[in-house]
Amino acid sequence: MASTNGVENLETWFPRDGKLSAENGTRLGVVVGGSLSKGLVVKLDPHQPIEDLAVGRYVVVHGDMKKFFCMITDIALDSPNPSIQSDPPEIANDPFLRAVYVGTAAYGKIHAALMLAIDEDDNEPRPVKTIPGHFMQVFNATTEDVNAVFGVEDGSHFNVGAPLELPDTQINLDLKRLVERSVGVFGKSGTGKSFLTRVLLAGIIARQQAVNLIFDMHNDYGWEVQNEGKARAKGLNQLFPSKVSIVTLDAESSRRRNARYDFEVKIGYTEIEPEDIAMLRETMSLSDAMIDASYTLRKHWGKGWIHKLIHATAADMDEIEAATPQRAGTLAALQRRVQRFERWDFLIPEAAGDTVQQIINILENNRSVVLEFGRYGNSLEAYILVANYLTRRIHEMYVERVEKAMGDPAMEPPQLVITIEEAHKFLDPHIASQTIFGIIARELRKYKVTLLIVDQRPSGIDEEVMSQIGTRVTALLDNERDINAVLTGISGAGGLREVLARLDTKQQAIIMGHAVPMPVVVKTRDYNDDFYKSVMDGNLKSEAVSTVRSRLGNSGDRRIR
Amino acid sequence: MDGTSSIVGRILRASTTGFDCGTRSNRIDDNHNFGAFVKVPISDSQDACAIGLIYAIRIDDDPLARELVMAANVDNSTLLDQRDNRMVPVEVCVINVGYCYNGAMFHSLPPRPPLSLSEVMLCDAGEVYDFTQRCDYFRLVLSASEVPCDELIAAALRYASYAYPDAERYDFLVKCGRQLANLLANDLKRLSHVLTLIRPEM
Repeated sequence: MASTNGVENLETWFPRDGKLSAENGTRLGVVVGGSLSKGLVVKLDPHQPIEDLAVGRYVVVHGDMKKFFCMITDIALDSPNPSIQSDPPEIANDPFLRAVYVGTAAYGKIHAALMLAIDEDDNEPRPVKTIPGHFMQVFNATTEDVNAVFGVEDGSHFNVGAPLELPDTQINLDLKRLVERSVGVFGKSGTGKSFLTRVLLAGIIARQQAVNLIFDMHNDYGWEVQNEGKARAKGLNQLFPSKVSIVTLDAESSRRRNARYDFEVKIGYTEIEPEDIAMLRETMSLSDAMIDASYTLRKHWGKGWIHKLIHATAADMDEIEAATPQRAGTLAALQRRVQRFERWDFLIPEAAGDTVQQIINILENNRSVVLEFGRYGNSLEAYILVANYLTRRIHEMYVERVEKAMGDPAMEPPQLVITIEEAHKFLDPHIASQTIFGIIARELRKYKVTLLIVDQRPSGIDEEVMSQIGTRVTALLDNERDINAVLTGISGAGGLREVLARLDTKQQAIIMGHAVPMPVVVKTRDYNDDFYKSVMDGNLKSEAVSTVRSRLGNSGDRRIR
Repeated sequence: MDGTSSIVGRILRASTTGFDCGTRSNRIDDNHNFGAFVKVPISDSQDACAIGLIYAIRIDDDPLARELVMAANVDNSTLLDQRDNRMVPVEVCVINVGYCYNGAMFHSLPPRPPLSLSEVMLCDAGEVYDFTQRCDYFRLVLSASEVPCDELIAAALRYASYAYPDAERYDFLVKCGRQLANLLANDLKRLSHVLTLIRPEM
């Protein structure tokens, strides 16, 4: 005689009503239509509560020969008879009618974008080039399914969070691929872009995949900050004191925050070139004529042109007007704007030491640099000017070093990732083709420099630059143009649009592109003591390896590997 | 459905789609309910029997009955004699919904009709339970012509539900309701009517 308990056990292993499971994944329904370009249509099983599903979640279709990894991109209600909408059955107080109608005369559907196919034979994830047949079973993705795609955390893979509804799973970014091409972190204000960026940077530093130059507009990255819950979050220098240096434009601000900075950056007026002024076209309302005038003045007055312009008299202006085609009015307008530089203490007539060279030296020693802007972070002009100036110098050095490395591999500089915020100000379609950031985004990958751009208005970034961004990490965006910009060039973008517009406002992001095998919605890791411990443990291990390597000398590389 | 006196009647006429059987009027009882499941051996085979649903019970007139109807005064003994001993049988009409062969149930029309005068029996509870494990016979009922198919399927399901233990009865009716919803999704008014007829008392 079968006991009640025995019956329950049987139900566990062989559930009724189609609640079949494939390796513990709950069956959701069957494929009833779709295409490779538009994704699959899945009719949900009657037992499947539609409210349990969410866009962005992974499902797995078990085909005859392959498993297909898909992401839910839309959820819909449907009926074989449209007239049910005009005369719906009264089921509110009738569980019998509810049980009968739901799933038959009225049912749920999901749309699932195809992401990856896994051959049963070799178990290798591959790009999708076909679709599963009709009526193939669809299951919730299991932890094992996701782990099979995203692999394990190792020397070049870094755990950034877990996919939706699978908290025991890890999404491991391939950091080597991440830094190979430029990265974009997008999201509207208040969606945690800075925390996302800090997690990515911590991963890159912990795994030693690149050195970073971070133009830290709001002092978010170097030293600790308070998050919105008033909890303190450690900065990169505190996590990796031996691998991260803080340099500052505003020593007073750094001191107030007890941030341990290495030195204060001073830039001489003589270092500023007309290209740097051109970058300020929008923020300082510079006309084309004023920018032309700056080139003329540079040619006419030489390296000290900015200092001379600030202090130029009417006679100086007349002289320029007489000697060049520039008009006095244009020169006066340019002078008024450039005189704002006098309010910035980091700009001095003649720099005593070459602080830029100091930054380059730090980078060459495989240490990352966080440049804190202090009070100048509120001045977009200062941010753009400094970022552009430093990046231009570093660009020149990297091009030179990489070209030398073609003859002598020992000269090869470390991979460099430059982090900039408010990126649309640097990569505006009108100026992106001329600025150093546009050049880096487009072609400096081969010179081992890539960008990590952090922005809330990706639609303001040049389309060509956007197309060159390898990995996009995108928190919630609700502006249609921004969503379009982020999805440009992503296959199956139509489906991801719904996912992107419905992310949570905090700790959720969709990662797509070069560093992940398929687009994934992650609940990002908490930036807390556990996170510190995990990255610092990895850091200690790699530091120990570095120490041993240095003791063994050059041959250590081969012996330690 | 206790199996003690489950004879419904004998075949009067038959085809593969259904049959009519006759019985004496005084034998009309619970075995002849509208929607009841009945069975009859196919041709001369003992291993195969057609399974059908009673969809009509007809009592035809005869000349004597007509005269008696017109008579001014008819005494009670004459009426009883006419009812018990009349020469015209009560006809029970059955639509075939499946057949049983060597114990296996099939939800399609039987391969051959039963022979005349074969004995039509009421299906017992076990047979009804086994036969109604699947719902494939619904389509045969719903698409039958000259049969009150909506009322018939509802009556048959109510009848069959009593072959199930109390704990399974509700789930059985839900399962059947869902199948009806699939079949009648294009005619929601009809579906609603049938579901109202089979809705269990809460």
